[in-house]
Amino acid sequence: MSAGRPPFLPGLWAPHPRMTSQTRARPRQRACSTGRPGRLQRHLSGEFDQLRDFPIFESNFVQVTRLGEVANKVTMGVAASSPALELPDLLLLAGPTKENGRLQLFGLFPLQFVQLFVHDESRWQLKVKFRTGRAFYLQLRAPPETRDREFGQWVRLLYRLRFHSAQGAVPFTQEYSALEDCDDDEEDEEELELEEPPALDTRLDPQTSVLWGL
Amino acid sequence: MTYAYLFKYIIIGDTGVGKSCLLLQFTDKRFQPVHDLTIGVEFGARMVNIDGKQIKLQIWDTAGQESFRSITRSYYRGAAGALLVYDITRRETFNHLTSWLEDARQHSSSNMVIMLIGNKSDLESRRDVKREEGEAFAREHGLIFMETSAKTACNVEEAFINTAKEIYRKIQQGLFDVHNEANGIKIGPQQCISTSVGSSTSQRNSREVGSNSGCC
Repeated sequence: MSAGRPPFLPGLWAPHPRMTSQTRARPRQRACSTGRPGRLQRHLSGEFDQLRDFPIFESNFVQVTRLGEVANKVTMGVAASSPALELPDLLLLAGPTKENGRLQLFGLFPLQFVQLFVHDESRWQLKVKFRTGRAFYLQLRAPPETRDREFGQWVRLLYRLRFHSAQGAVPFTQEYSALEDCDDDEEDEEELELEEPPALDTRLDPQTSVLWGL
Repeated sequence: MTYAYLFKYIIIGDTGVGKSCLLLQFTDKRFQPVHDLTIGVEFGARMVNIDGKQIKLQIWDTAGQESFRSITRSYYRGAAGALLVYDITRRETFNHLTSWLEDARQHSSSNMVIMLIGNKSDLESRRDVKREEGEAFAREHGLIFMETSAKTACNVEEAFINTAKEIYRKIQQGLFDVHNEANGIKIGPQQCISTSVGSSTSQRNSREVGSNSGCC
């Protein structure tokens, strides 16, 4: 197990040498939205004392190029560093080690320095963009019967985060296209067309695992 | 893979001193001259062998830039070891050590072992901080000191492993309560640890090294 640098960070796309390219593998443990701890949460519980109590919403993805070519597996989660928070404040990225395929946490990034976008809804793809300009694309890896629902949870989360970061400047409409990334270098936040605040309860409720009302 | 102990390390210091490069050299044995700015915390891990015990080093590579500092310092807690890094070619990174040290001491266990690292020792012609100054700072503040080069790998192994040796020594002396997770030490998942080395990976990772190879 190792890695000083996550696989998705350098350049446009460069798989980490210690990450596997097991792109044909079946989807495994899915997001913890059902209340069952996901793989990432279990990994943190084992070795990361400081992070183990964080409420986490996570899913398995494959990293893809902008054009959709598939590369390595990535598990992405969002977590709240305090139960008092109404929304998650951290992004967690993990992937299998080259040696034994076990999940390894690669990075923990404050969400204030990360932007999430819907890249291609029809392919269940998200775009993750750091404030430094680095970006990569992730395609949800989930069973067909639950994939749409799970992707929808990410989309809702993404809207919540956007709405939160906009600090109520303008309400929003749940129009997926509004979040699509138009240009890598543009300030996408300003492109949101917002209409009406969500009626859903955004209170954190880890007891019932209904995280952030997703 | 089983291990007797897991030690949490943090790597701290000014931006651009080579923290991520040190980690990459230690975990992957390679050097990447151009690195993106670290945001938040990035992680690495490696098994080492100390006194016949397999020990997993869980390394938290923190962002050095001032704007991330208030966020990353919250992750110092529970570290057993810290690598405090400066760049021997940039005097200001040495001047900021006191501030980093204060942060580290304030947010972590008093028993934490701190290794002061003067990195980029391959750039001797551009040296701006004398080795003796690093030694004096370390002596004054009770730190271990080494000069390293993440580029040539000089002393990189030694820096990480000597820190682990010191932590292990403190455990044996009873200075670290291994059952208190706030000390940054976890007992491995298996009670019975074999002293033999298993896979080739762990053989590579388990080399005993001398206290100073003298390459720098």
